[in-house]
Amino acid sequence: MRRAGLRTRVSAAFAVGALALSACVTIVSYELTRSTLFQERERTAVRTAYFDAAAVDSSLTAGDTNVADVLGALDAGADRYVLVQRAGRWYSRSAETGAQAAVPQSLRELAARGEAGAQRIRRDREPALAIAVPLGGDTVFYEIVSQRELERTLQVLALVLAAVAIMMAAGGAAVGWYVTRSALRPLGAVAGAARGIAEGDLGTRLDPATEPDLAPLAASFNHMADELARRLQRDRRFAADVSHELRSPLQTLAAAVSVVDRRRDGLDERSAAAVGLIVDEVARFQELVADLLELARSDQPVQREPTDVVALAERVVRAHGVAPEIVVDGPREWLVDARRVEQALGNLIENAIRYGGGPVAVRLGKGFLEVDDAGPGVPEGLRATIFDRFVRGPAAGARGAGDGTGLGLAIVAEHAAAHGGSATVTERPGGGARFRLELP
Amino acid sequence: MTSVLLIEDDDRIRLSLTLALEDEGYTAHAAATAEQGLAEQRRVGADTVLVDLMLPGMDGFECIRELRRGDDVPIVVISARDDTHDIVAALEAGADDYLVKPVAVKELAARLRALRRRARVATAPLRTLTFGDLELRPDAGEVRLHGAEVPVTRTEFRLLCELAEHPGQVLSRQQLLQRVWGYDIGDERLVDVHVGRVRHKIEDVPGKPRHLVTVRGLGYKLQP
Repeated sequence: MRRAGLRTRVSAAFAVGALALSACVTIVSYELTRSTLFQERERTAVRTAYFDAAAVDSSLTAGDTNVADVLGALDAGADRYVLVQRAGRWYSRSAETGAQAAVPQSLRELAARGEAGAQRIRRDREPALAIAVPLGGDTVFYEIVSQRELERTLQVLALVLAAVAIMMAAGGAAVGWYVTRSALRPLGAVAGAARGIAEGDLGTRLDPATEPDLAPLAASFNHMADELARRLQRDRRFAADVSHELRSPLQTLAAAVSVVDRRRDGLDERSAAAVGLIVDEVARFQELVADLLELARSDQPVQREPTDVVALAERVVRAHGVAPEIVVDGPREWLVDARRVEQALGNLIENAIRYGGGPVAVRLGKGFLEVDDAGPGVPEGLRATIFDRFVRGPAAGARGAGDGTGLGLAIVAEHAAAHGGSATVTERPGGGARFRLELP
Repeated sequence: MTSVLLIEDDDRIRLSLTLALEDEGYTAHAAATAEQGLAEQRRVGADTVLVDLMLPGMDGFECIRELRRGDDVPIVVISARDDTHDIVAALEAGADDYLVKPVAVKELAARLRALRRRARVATAPLRTLTFGDLELRPDAGEVRLHGAEVPVTRTEFRLLCELAEHPGQVLSRQQLLQRVWGYDIGDERLVDVHVGRVRHKIEDVPGKPRHLVTVRGLGYKLQP
């Protein structure tokens, strides 16, 4: 699974933290409010119940035997139910028959022992308080007080507190998002600098003063860039030194060999054959050095300029002494590094001459060029590696006099890559190979 | 017989190139340092000078500038260095062509022949060509700006003549390379640097050329 981004994770952590914090506060305050309110209500309810019990007691003691009438005379609101149990019989106000069912057994037993008490119960799925006050003799006064309104109040409170908790979490997430944005902004500068270096601007450095907290990052980034520049510089100097040290003796060889070659006719057969070998190998060595040096610097940035590719293609085929059909299917002018494209196309044509019996067509499409030959083609298994260095196809056969350096196609691939494109080979419809160079 | 002066500090390269050039039919003179080379050129006045860039004492760039001071002799650089900086600097110093070692003797002979051909074409009789205050006299090998003669090298003159023969018409860098230097495929920097050098001589403000203008993506043209 893909890991969530830093900003997402930080925001989520902020949200969870804010939610946990607000949930704690909410739950504590809710519980405190609830217990306080309940205690308050219950105290009031118990006091009222004692008052009512005293009134009923005095009425009964005064000889009023109709218990229902006595209860009816009590000033009981809608939320209060009064009951009297006398000698095993239940009395209540006419409208509240059956209310005794709500009186819990434990409270009845408590009252039977002559003790007053109160107990929280649920009646009709609503919270209520049942209060028992034993009167003299065989009589117990019960009062059931509904706490419905209190519960409703608490429900509203819980709703409000939950909403606050959710808003706190959302606020936390927003703060996290905002904070990470400002925290990540310096990283954007780092990314930009790294991109600059990747694109070849080795002078790119970060200013450690702009963001003091990120100074170590800027310092190590700059150190890395310095190191990279130094290494590139060293590599470049090495390549330059090598090229000079190789080219100088090659120049002597090339000139001296030409002198001997001119006099080959005057030599005996064995010497002439040996001179022939030296001439061929010196020529091949020259190509090899040129190709290796070309590869060594192929990672340098491309210098794009408007180029008439049709004229370029015509020039290249003329220089190689071949006349393939040039098919143009797109704009004539491309924004490319002309030197590289010229060399890449030249290498493809040379490849076609060497291994494909000569190019039959050069196609210039939109951002790509193709070179077709009518040779044996490139076997499927070799198509991926043919652009590697020193890879020669079976078409090359034994390494004879006509063999190349084995670097031509590698250079083609490097030039394509330098343009951000690619080099591929496929089968040409009708036989032969089709080399394609993508130059976006 | 045409003569060539080779200024090259590497003994083996100097000897082998001297032998090869003599085989090609040239009279070859050689010098191991820039100072010796300048003295030799004053003495023998060779038709073409071949110069290496890395020389002990006075370097190749300075040597080219010194040669150019009093002479329009074709100068060809033969160097192991192929940095753009070096190539452009050598051409700006006044070299006519630039070859990177190792140079095949056949290639070198072809370049020398092309330089000779240019020298000859430039002396062919032609009428005077006028571009506003700029005047070209191919018969006399003269360039005049505001009536005063401007010293140009043979290659610069040949470049101007090619452009002047097609007034107002754009010639691509490759066309100029082919017509002036005789290259089928060559380095376009040769053209650009020479155009820059010519501009310094024939333009009142080289940064804002009036006569020799660049047509972006196409090439150059000469206009009044």
